[in-house]
Amino acid sequence: MKVHVKAFATFREVMDSQFDMDFPKGATIHTLLAELTGKFEGLGELMFAAPGTLRDFVNILKNGRNVHFLAGLDTPLDDGDVIALFPPVAGG
Amino acid sequence: MAVLSKEQKERYRRQIAVVGEDGQEKIGRTRLLIAGAGGLGSTAALFAAMAGFGTIRIIDPDCIEETNLNRQLLYREADIGRPKADTAAKALHAMNSSIDVEPVTAAIGTAPARDLIRGIDLVIDGLDNYPARFLLADAAWKCGIPFIHGAVEGFYGQVCTILPKTYPCLRCIVPNPPPVRETPIIGVTTGVIGCIQVTEAIKLATGTGLPISDHLWLWDGIRQKSDRLKIERIPTCHVCGKDEYQIPTGERVR
Repeated sequence: MKVHVKAFATFREVMDSQFDMDFPKGATIHTLLAELTGKFEGLGELMFAAPGTLRDFVNILKNGRNVHFLAGLDTPLDDGDVIALFPPVAGG
Repeated sequence: MAVLSKEQKERYRRQIAVVGEDGQEKIGRTRLLIAGAGGLGSTAALFAAMAGFGTIRIIDPDCIEETNLNRQLLYREADIGRPKADTAAKALHAMNSSIDVEPVTAAIGTAPARDLIRGIDLVIDGLDNYPARFLLADAAWKCGIPFIHGAVEGFYGQVCTILPKTYPCLRCIVPNPPPVRETPIIGVTTGVIGCIQVTEAIKLATGTGLPISDHLWLWDGIRQKSDRLKIERIPTCHVCGKDEYQIPTGERVR
């Protein structure tokens, strides 16, 4: 199945802005992040406080819905999903 | 209804050509709160004063420091050490003496947020941290006042106009804020985002166009590209999950 990934703000300093990825059925957000952190050097450090522990402020949206309020890293991926990786900026 | 004077018709002539005399009168009747007089706040305040917003209340607890001068365009080297709110008010009044400017030297949270927004029509977020943003945005949402959120880091920025009684609210957009720290900022980014925020204020005041209210608008200055990110409301949100809100004292603000 094909998933479209979009990255915003400071994540773009270590990864591409948007691209498609192919996954087998049964893949989850965890599968996607494992692929991404292997592909883009420095992304793991930006996203994870410790192995398997996502930094609180990293928003991962599946079709606009924050996976934190779905099934977290276990949220399943579906064909055609748009996954947005969005670290909110804070300065004024 | 306030009618434009001959001087105002001349001063705002180029702008009246865009928004009409009726639109200019609406801008003149609109009372703005600018929360924070830093990079975003000073840009927004300057353009709001030039546009002729009738009342600008500007709040900031701090004094001007040398490190502010890469982006906070209301201040000069001679202002270092002076309170930001008062100094901003003088600069705004010098720009446009026909508007009312109310400086408030206070931190969000030291006074009840509902007092800071009393009598205000629109809030522009020029704050630098989410705990303060949530205090003000929650109060604005619950009191029926639009909150024009903006934030920056480096070459990146984001804007969303949070309309009361609609979704998502700021808590839905940023459920887990980043830690408070000294944020790296290029001055031009606060200029871009501050101007987008005032654009939103002008649109809301005059009823022009559609606000950025159902998505987050993101600016990428490295690629000179903007994106719209749709964000759904969090079903369990404790702010926008209820349609009616009672001020804890039992007093309705508006």
